[in-house]
Amino acid sequence: MAKSTKLKILWLQSITCNGNTHSFFSHPDFVTLMQKFEVIYHPLLDSVYSLENVINKKLACDILVVEGAFRETGMQKANQEIYAIAKSYAKKAKHVITVGNCSTFGGVFRLYDTESIGGFCFNDETPNEAYKLFKKKLISLPGCPAHPRWIGNLLSMILSQRQILLDNFHRPLEVYGYNAHAGCPRSEYFEWKVDSKNYGHKEGCLFYEYGCQAPYTHANCNKILWNEVSSKTRVGTPCFGCTEPYFPKKDLWHTNTLMGIPASMPMGVPRRAYLTITGIAKSFSIKRLNEPIIKYKK
Amino acid sequence: MKVKYLIEKIEGEAELEFDFKNGLVDNVNISFPFYRGIEEILKDRDVMDALVITPRVCGICNHAHLIASVRAIENGLSKAGINIYLTQKAISLREFTLSCEIVHSHFKWFYLVALPQLLNLDGIKKPDNYILKASWASTNIVKALAIFSGQWPHASYAVPGGVSCDPTYEDIIQAEALVDEVTRFVENELIGMSIDEYHKAKEISNIKGDMATIFGMMAKQNMKEKGKSYDRFVVLGEHPIFQSGLYNKKYSNDISFAHIKEQTQHNSKAKSVTYKDMCYEVGPLARAILVKNDFILNLHDKYKDSALTRVYARLDETIRLLVYMKSLLANLNVKELSCTLAKMPKAFEASGVGIVEAARGSLIHQSIIKDGKIQKYNIITPTQWNLSSGTQKEAGVAVQAMKGSVSIKEATFVFRTFDVCSVCTTQ
Repeated sequence: MAKSTKLKILWLQSITCNGNTHSFFSHPDFVTLMQKFEVIYHPLLDSVYSLENVINKKLACDILVVEGAFRETGMQKANQEIYAIAKSYAKKAKHVITVGNCSTFGGVFRLYDTESIGGFCFNDETPNEAYKLFKKKLISLPGCPAHPRWIGNLLSMILSQRQILLDNFHRPLEVYGYNAHAGCPRSEYFEWKVDSKNYGHKEGCLFYEYGCQAPYTHANCNKILWNEVSSKTRVGTPCFGCTEPYFPKKDLWHTNTLMGIPASMPMGVPRRAYLTITGIAKSFSIKRLNEPIIKYKK
Repeated sequence: MKVKYLIEKIEGEAELEFDFKNGLVDNVNISFPFYRGIEEILKDRDVMDALVITPRVCGICNHAHLIASVRAIENGLSKAGINIYLTQKAISLREFTLSCEIVHSHFKWFYLVALPQLLNLDGIKKPDNYILKASWASTNIVKALAIFSGQWPHASYAVPGGVSCDPTYEDIIQAEALVDEVTRFVENELIGMSIDEYHKAKEISNIKGDMATIFGMMAKQNMKEKGKSYDRFVVLGEHPIFQSGLYNKKYSNDISFAHIKEQTQHNSKAKSVTYKDMCYEVGPLARAILVKNDFILNLHDKYKDSALTRVYARLDETIRLLVYMKSLLANLNVKELSCTLAKMPKAFEASGVGIVEAARGSLIHQSIIKDGKIQKYNIITPTQWNLSSGTQKEAGVAVQAMKGSVSIKEATFVFRTFDVCSVCTTQ
């Protein structure tokens, strides 16, 4: 058998729901893309090695993808701690990718026991021990789950040796430089402060009444769309901020307010600027924005 | 002789400990090793948070968890005296999106698990295009789902009183086109004939395509005799296309929730579940039996609850659901309200149960709410019915089905006919 010159990918799971695996599987070019790599192990795809091989042997690996939250002890596969296995492969790999909020920050599963469960390199926003070891090769793809194209494009960029610029949490700027609000079809309602008053309408902004986190959330969901067709805010569901270290916040469907004013300001917007603009916007009543977009005849 | 076997790529892993007697599987201990604590995570959180957190039980049937959790909230609100009703539009949209997820899951099971495992059992190298087929078909059907739910996996678009989306005809037409495309895939690849011809086919030997391949392989492996369990079935979820009820030698529609019992198991983080202290099979075969699907009843008459009947039921369901989904979209009235509940009551007390039919069978969510916050949350998944080691009195459904297998390879194929999901089983 000819020796493969393809980059070797190892996809390891810890405390997870497999959501990132299934999200990535819905990438329209999944098969073509994965054929460009040598798959050492993947939770869905056939691989040359079994999980026991991966755990017991010291296989070569160029790209380590980890999915799920970690704990130092108590999460074993084939009688070995998966955290230790992941660290030993991370040492060898050229790139370490944490897919999903759990493997990046701890996510939903961290909430079970915040003392012992966390992300691979961060616990919420705090870098942990492993961060020191792997920060030079770490790329974070938080999201619950990560969008298929975030994973696919990152792998392609590694393959084509393109420059990958990262933010403080090691998230690629091409994805996380945007906020989830950008591209939301409801943004006109946000600008003119026309709030959604009940569920199930295409009109109205979800920021004030329904806890929408899009103005605080680093992600390009409303630019590239989910499953190529949609996004939460497009179907009247608020953004829950799943790419951020504080996900999932408490009271996900509610906006925290202080004396009627949202407790957090949209990303980078000074409080005074927000209040001024809001005050002015609210002093006008735009008829069009207070009517249904389509009035169906009975 | 006892042999331990780590079964992997089943939405996680499980450990099977086989007990062989005279060369045949005599007993199996099934152990799912890890518990993630979703039920505890929900404690003291706002009731609406369940709609976001519970889908995270499972990357493959997350949408079913969403629908179960919204039904549990609605059931609780109704019992607390708050009028809850859904428009036909909201009902149809939930039915549609849930069906999309079931179909997508069946495709993955067929092309990524069933067919490759069976070829492996026969020592044949599988063609490369199975992954491509799984990927194409599942991706396109979850795309139709996402048009209404915003995304897949992990949408939260079902809210008490309806759904959060407000689709236009344009959205519906886009979804219809995707269902048509996937139907064309089924006709060209899966069954090798039109769906009309399929419904007229009287024998499985008349069916072509990849389904013919799997039946050829199953015949060769004598799967019409293997994989038989107790021949007891239960369907708990209420849906227009399914029939809830029980089958144990005879049919019964009189189901009482009080007879469902969860029990912790020695050696596994998964709890077993029984009805009147007996193990029952849930899932596509149970649904086909309860809805009295002629085609499956015919097979069942001949081969009982064998691996063959079980595999066939899952594939047949895929086809029936696609037809159902098309009719849901055709009859969708966009003029109706999406959501009828204007505001969630603030501090309320409630206790509710939500049950849906998920890809692998009946899924139950129970919530107790106090002061608008979750006091207690309990989830019983389909795989807990099918994949437990059993009770003191009898072996679990899958264990019973694996008994008599000649090898681990054969037994694990039988195990996989239940469509194993590790993460759901332990939550």
